[in-house]
Amino acid sequence: MDLSMLKPGNRARITSIGVAGPLKRRLMDMGVLVGEEIKLVKIAPLGDPVEVDIKSYRLSLRKSEAQAIGVEVLDV
Amino acid sequence: MSDSNTTVIARKPSAAVSTGKLRVAFAGNPNSGKSTLINAIAGTRLHVGNWPGVTVEMKEASFTHNGHRIDLVDLPGTYSLSPYSQEEVIAADYLAKEKPDVIVNVVDATNLERNLYLTVQLLELGIPTVIALNIHDEAEKKGYRIDTKGIEKSLGVTVVATSAVRKTGLDELLDAVVSTADDPERHKPHDVSYGPDIDQAANNVLERLGSELAPVPDEYPLRWLAIRLVEQDERISGLFDERTVRIVQDATEHLRSAHGSDLESLVADARYAVANGVAHQVLKKPATAKVELTEKIDSVVLNRFWGIPIFLAAMWFLFKLTFDISTPFMDWMDTVIGVVSAWAGAGLAAIGASEWISSLVIDGIIAGVGTVFVFLPIILAMMFFVTLLEGTGYMARAAFIMDRAMRSIGLHGKSFIPLLMGFGCNVPSIYATRTLENPKDKVLTALLVPYMSCGARLPVYVLFTAAFFATNQGTVLWSLYVLGIVVAMIMGLIFKRTLFRGEPAPAFVMELPPYRMPSFKSLMIHTWEKGRHFVVKAGTWILLASIVVWVLYSLPWGAEKHDTLLGRTGQAVAPVLAPLGFGDWQAGASLVTGVVAKEVVVSTMGEIYAPAAVGEEPAEEEAVPTFGEGVTEIATGLVTAVGDSAMGVLSSVGITSIAVEEPGDDGLLGSLKGTFSPLSAFAFMVFVLLYVPCMIVLVAMRQEFGSWKWAGVSVATTFAAAWVVTFIVYQGGSLLGIGV
Repeated sequence: MDLSMLKPGNRARITSIGVAGPLKRRLMDMGVLVGEEIKLVKIAPLGDPVEVDIKSYRLSLRKSEAQAIGVEVLDV
Repeated sequence: MSDSNTTVIARKPSAAVSTGKLRVAFAGNPNSGKSTLINAIAGTRLHVGNWPGVTVEMKEASFTHNGHRIDLVDLPGTYSLSPYSQEEVIAADYLAKEKPDVIVNVVDATNLERNLYLTVQLLELGIPTVIALNIHDEAEKKGYRIDTKGIEKSLGVTVVATSAVRKTGLDELLDAVVSTADDPERHKPHDVSYGPDIDQAANNVLERLGSELAPVPDEYPLRWLAIRLVEQDERISGLFDERTVRIVQDATEHLRSAHGSDLESLVADARYAVANGVAHQVLKKPATAKVELTEKIDSVVLNRFWGIPIFLAAMWFLFKLTFDISTPFMDWMDTVIGVVSAWAGAGLAAIGASEWISSLVIDGIIAGVGTVFVFLPIILAMMFFVTLLEGTGYMARAAFIMDRAMRSIGLHGKSFIPLLMGFGCNVPSIYATRTLENPKDKVLTALLVPYMSCGARLPVYVLFTAAFFATNQGTVLWSLYVLGIVVAMIMGLIFKRTLFRGEPAPAFVMELPPYRMPSFKSLMIHTWEKGRHFVVKAGTWILLASIVVWVLYSLPWGAEKHDTLLGRTGQAVAPVLAPLGFGDWQAGASLVTGVVAKEVVVSTMGEIYAPAAVGEEPAEEEAVPTFGEGVTEIATGLVTAVGDSAMGVLSSVGITSIAVEEPGDDGLLGSLKGTFSPLSAFAFMVFVLLYVPCMIVLVAMRQEFGSWKWAGVSVATTFAAAWVVTFIVYQGGSLLGIGV
């Protein structure tokens, strides 16, 4: 299960981050860390990117970036 | 982006401390209200420039507070001090090498944990730090209770609650800076602990480096260096030789065996753990959070169905507004220049200046300066709105909405606004590419801006459609705008596969900050600085280019148009243009002058196509206005402009904003009809649409990208695109026998 599969409103916990290099660093700096709780808030009108809530702020990610973030859903 | 260039900031540390000057660096997250805070503190004393060698904005100010001289530097807003973006490298390098006397860390009180993540990294540097707990009023409104003393106790720094909007805490902040600098030892921040394993590894690294006499660049704080080495910061590792890197590898062996090889994540986790710990300890949130304004607005403007229509309508409205506001002032600038030219002409005649000197002054120098000032209103208006979009947080939403569409041609969501603005004027669009973070995105957007058909190209279309397509003017116009967009898309794909081939797509990962109203003062300072920069930096180049064109146009003095340098240039380029359907020297010469600004094509054509009909004499001598008349004309012009501009704000529909003057020159229409066929006329318009950006755009590119390189690439690629597309249009049309 990865972040891009969540539906708006779903909460999940990050289990893995499958990227390396600058993108990984950027994600870490923005607080996207393994073990962190994340909520999918919105999907952009054209279907991509997505908006998530993490560390009580709003972050947007492209679906391709969200696919690299493994999650387990907390509630549906 | 792991640029191993370590000398981004070449400035030597000044002898500030000894002379009683305090060097204070402001660091903080983007959207932490840092700019507004600095504007509130330093106001008009701010000097805006660029960091050496890069196009990242640097703000500085010098002022006195309670008898202490303070030199303030604003570091680029960053989430971290990682070496992955220009901004981060600049901030990290400045802090580590220049070692300011005090760091003011601007922290968004409404977003404590993520902001403290940067704080923790700043504290690693061991520089006395003061935290400005900013946007404190908003946090209170949300019901947050933040124990500032608690932060002070756990981090060892002074904390001052500030609100830039309400102007509270500003004096207290500067007081704290001064008293911190007075006694730096007492205000040294605590060494942040990342737990025994990481701390031990950092100590190991330091010990091993010391005992094995590895050369260590001495300008960096040691503990900071050690932690950066432990987390395998590529840029810092790159400063050391291989032996040292091996020593570090050895020294972190234990850490690796205990926690796996991903030390980067380990250290980031540890930093966040510290930030989280502090935030938990000091922050009390109300049990039930209110549905926030930001959420309410977003549920409308980012709605699946209405999001795009609302966005497009808003952009169209803003676009209209920009031009309705600035066009009257641009016309007024024209009036001013007309009056000044007339005065100058009379003055020069009075002192007996020869004809060519007065031509040089009026048509070369004053016209050149005039060009700079005519562009000023639209640049100010557009920069104002772009700054407003960014300051309110809507720019990030625009990127969110448009990213999917823009990405298909290799662009970023934020590219949309500069490109859209390009339909009005390409020049501010180039400046607006600054809203993009990644240098590659900036350059690519700037390279595509010239394909957006700007207002200056319209007079050319109007002239030619009036002559050849009077019955379907609208369709022809429309087809040109669409063609520009299509060519931009094709060029985007080509650039993606050539110039930027192999480069990974820059990460999108972008904060959607809460909506906020930026302070008016902050907006004005920013807008004014942009305008000032344009005049000062671009002005010189534009003046130079204007003189060059005057030389082409006028020399040899008194020669027939055909034999001037311009005429000869026209003849020289004619063979290149012949396959496109307009191989006469007049067309070539008009296109050459069009590089100044595209509408100049029309006036040049007016002069060189219909000389006999209109008469060579420089029209009837216009009466030179007296000083009083001139001043009156300028003043009434300004009043009219303000009025029109205000009306422009009110009128909200219709495309009338871009003033189109109908070419009243029947002589010119006649000669054009004699020279062009409908097909070659259309081909000529296509060429004008696509060929090289005007010199002002090129100067703006040089200014934004620090060298002529990308301006050169732009000239080469637009010219190539224009030639190929026009060739296809003309030759294809000829083959099919359309409009020949």
